[in-house]
Amino acid sequence: MDTLNPPLSILQAVRRRDHIAHNAWQVFAFLFIGLALAFTLVAAPSGDTFYFRLATEALIYSGLAMSVDLLLGFTGLLSLGQALFFGLGAYTSALVLKHVGPSFWTAMAVTLLVSTAVGIVGGFIAIRARGVYFALITFGMAQVVSKIVYNTRELGASDGIMGIPVIQANFLLFKVDTAQAPAFFLTVLAMTMGLYFCIAYLLRTPFGRTLGAVRNNECRVPFLGYNPQLYKMLAYVLAADMAAFSGALYPMLRGFVSPELMYFAVSGDAVITVVIGGLGTLIGAIYGSVILTGLKSAIGTYTGHYQIVIGVLFMLSVIAFPKGLMGYLSPLVEKWLAGRRENP
Amino acid sequence: MGGAVDYIQFVFMPQVFNGLTIGVAVILMALGLTIIFGLLDVINMAHGEFYALGAYLGITLASHGVGFWLLLIAVPLVLLPLGYGSDRLLIQRVFHQKDRHMLTLLLTFGLAIIMEDMFKLAYGPNTIRPETPISGGTELFGNFFPSYRLFLMVFGTVTIAAVWLVVHRTRYGSMVRAAAFDKHMASSLGVPVGKVYSATFAFGVALAGLSGVLLAPIYSVFPTMGKDFILMAFAVVIVGGLGNIKGVVFAGLLLTQVQAISSLYISPVWADPLVFAIMVLVLMVRPQGILGGKLGHA
Amino acid sequence: MRNRCWKTFCLTFAALACFAAYGDASEPIKIGVVTPLTGTYTGIGQQVKWGLELAAKEINASGGIIGRKVDLLYEDEEANPLVATQKAEKLFQVSKVDFLTGTVNSASTLAVGQLAERNNKLIATTVSFSDAITGEKCSPNVFRVNAKAGMQSAALAEWLAKEKPGAHVFYLGPDYEMGRSTVAAFKSAAEKKGAKSTGEVFAPLGNKDYSPFFGQIRAAHASVLYTSVAGNDTVRLFTQMAEYGIRQHLTVVGASGTVTSQNIGAIGKVADGYVTGVGYSPEIDTSENRKFVAAFRGMHKADPDLYGADSYGLLYFYKAAVEKAKSTDTEKVRTAMRGIKWSTPQGMKEMRAGDHQAIQDMYAVKVVDGKFKIIGKVRGNTAIGPDTCQRF
Repeated sequence: MDTLNPPLSILQAVRRRDHIAHNAWQVFAFLFIGLALAFTLVAAPSGDTFYFRLATEALIYSGLAMSVDLLLGFTGLLSLGQALFFGLGAYTSALVLKHVGPSFWTAMAVTLLVSTAVGIVGGFIAIRARGVYFALITFGMAQVVSKIVYNTRELGASDGIMGIPVIQANFLLFKVDTAQAPAFFLTVLAMTMGLYFCIAYLLRTPFGRTLGAVRNNECRVPFLGYNPQLYKMLAYVLAADMAAFSGALYPMLRGFVSPELMYFAVSGDAVITVVIGGLGTLIGAIYGSVILTGLKSAIGTYTGHYQIVIGVLFMLSVIAFPKGLMGYLSPLVEKWLAGRRENP
Repeated sequence: MGGAVDYIQFVFMPQVFNGLTIGVAVILMALGLTIIFGLLDVINMAHGEFYALGAYLGITLASHGVGFWLLLIAVPLVLLPLGYGSDRLLIQRVFHQKDRHMLTLLLTFGLAIIMEDMFKLAYGPNTIRPETPISGGTELFGNFFPSYRLFLMVFGTVTIAAVWLVVHRTRYGSMVRAAAFDKHMASSLGVPVGKVYSATFAFGVALAGLSGVLLAPIYSVFPTMGKDFILMAFAVVIVGGLGNIKGVVFAGLLLTQVQAISSLYISPVWADPLVFAIMVLVLMVRPQGILGGKLGHA
Repeated sequence: MRNRCWKTFCLTFAALACFAAYGDASEPIKIGVVTPLTGTYTGIGQQVKWGLELAAKEINASGGIIGRKVDLLYEDEEANPLVATQKAEKLFQVSKVDFLTGTVNSASTLAVGQLAERNNKLIATTVSFSDAITGEKCSPNVFRVNAKAGMQSAALAEWLAKEKPGAHVFYLGPDYEMGRSTVAAFKSAAEKKGAKSTGEVFAPLGNKDYSPFFGQIRAAHASVLYTSVAGNDTVRLFTQMAEYGIRQHLTVVGASGTVTSQNIGAIGKVADGYVTGVGYSPEIDTSENRKFVAAFRGMHKADPDLYGADSYGLLYFYKAAVEKAKSTDTEKVRTAMRGIKWSTPQGMKEMRAGDHQAIQDMYAVKVVDGKFKIIGKVRGNTAIGPDTCQRF
């Protein structure tokens, strides 16, 4: 075959591989939707609430994890304080729902406005620092802000904010009651997967390619005519919005927010999620989040020492399986996809 | 007028002294951190947990009849092989990879999670407090200064000086600095770079353990104690310049004094944000730290 | 989507109806316990567990509640409301518990209380002492069988006025909502009784070194130090006070959560002389309490503290209410719980109907050789203060 066809140029080959990898991730995205729908079909008739809400929580955390992946996997910036924006979104949405009005869209819109503004300020502080410095600064920022929230009476201090009303999210054709576990699960599924497809698309545009260039070799980017600081800033703000977007769904699910949402444990879990799921795949964050949430809930019932289990799993991932779950599964799908392409 | 003198003598001065003792504690923590970073470029997220490990080891050994003064030698000696092993088994495993900064940070972060839970498993969640080895105090300028804190300051200063001498005046130290400056060159000149790396990690970890033993009688021992100093220690390391021993001493004293004195005038809760703000400012203006220059370059 | 919701709703309803029909008779009564089994508050969770286990054993041995056995189902909440709500929901929805208890920190109690409201279940706390739980943030589904902060302050202020009239008091609290409100509550109670306030300082939670504040305490020339720090912070504060020798000139008093059976071992001798207002001490000299302490020691090889005693008393509270209601139905049990009187190791307690706060006698206790000696007592009706709950 090779002798008959002219060899592909390197660029074409890379593009094609990229394309196949991307397609593999899309397959996993659709597979996830399929699994989630199957779960709904099985669980809804049984009248279950708990598992739906647990799954909803996993999806909410997966949005946070995706934002960490956007920074770490696609831009090369390790954020150890992404919970800052997750918590920011949760608090903003909680305050809007409680004091402005029980409107889903108002809450989401205000949250995105606030997170964009705070993201710009945070980005201004953080993106000047490179590599590990960036990690330490984001860590410090989240630490300081969560302490301030913990001490602010107006934000409920250590008790957080209770009594966020159950709302009817209006989707024009139909309304979703956030207290209806299956319906709200499907809503959050739609939002999370919507977010995934948007970001996945964005990463395939020139914007995304430039982020990749920043990750691979920041020093060379200016010679290509791009300003790496600008792209890092854009990525940072976008990640802030993603984290806040998911965070805003939290009070709708649980009816309260508390300073723990901003703690290092949440930021750290998001990093663990991404590494276990597969760095730089985006879809890995979603699978990772479901795995981690499920694992914690299941192990937590039997032993209080699940941190050891998760810690070992995490270190094993870093040392032995650095590509994460998706990194090992997607080549199989890629092979299958490539095979289909070559033998139509 | 007498009020002002009283204020300086009884409020301000003791505050400066207390700030100094905390400063010495923070510097001891930050020293190990900065040496490990200066040479290996590794941010040791588990540094605080090694500090806790030192304190817990001290408690275990003390319960077997080892006296406090012996602990100051025994605990670092136990931690040396542990640190060496951690480096061999974990850090060196990913050291040749391109993203090693991230990978080592993530690995030590994972190690921290596991260690913290191990402490709970082995020693229970409740606080343990070793007795203060030197009780009593000294009256100075009408103020009472606990003897143990005076000892801590002297011992801490000697330790810091010793570390500086080891790094800058011994054969091992020159190998460390050579490896930090250019590992390929050092390696081709016959420096066993891999071993030097592991030894340095072990050295830094042993210093953390020593701080654990020293500070346990004042700050007591519990599983999450490692998180206590970590933000402050990172701030000191960054402000002083990663890998810079003089910088750490300078920044450690500066930041703890800022914290101690500011807490006289503003709510102590704001002391942490203040220290953090200084750290951010330094990163913006002088990312290499106030005294600049890395280990091999100084 | 609407259709699906409707279907789900019907199915849920049908399932619930089935459950209600079969749930009765010989089925055990399930009580969920969401309590910290790991983390800083493990010691408290342990006492909660021990108290409940002893009571369940006794109740089951004497025929259970309305002929049904009591089953305790545990989940670890890590003293984190994010985890607590998830675990509580599991117990409500999957395990179908009839009643729930165990939360320790006030954020968890409030969050789980709200969840109980939305699930139409009842919960009770045996540990949280934040006044807000039965005050401004009260809930028709939440009961509290332990003493709240205000009652503890009242008992302590009473003792202070009697023993050290017109004392000069300095306040040192942890700087967060709970610490500040505890200090404010005691301050106003003490000032009403004639104490003079000489200054206050708030240290960050998890503060390492308290010595920077000692200068201010000295300069204020106070004779009494009130503190509401807790856990590890107490160990550090007391150690460092001893180090600096400032205990000699000061009587140290404080919140009930400051020195507890969890940290008294680590504090050691330095704790001696500390005075606090509290709802229980193993030293209470009644036959009920002696019997309880002996049984507790026999079962767990440890002394009960206030958390153990209040958790033990809780099951008898629930038993009394269910027997009065002759059902475990939420509405009926709630009605029965309001105003009910029941017997505990601390004596008779009464559940105030207006805010779901238990009324009980309060004690001033002093640490002597690591034991909590009773040195004063205030009647429950005096200590409890007005009902400020507006919601029901």
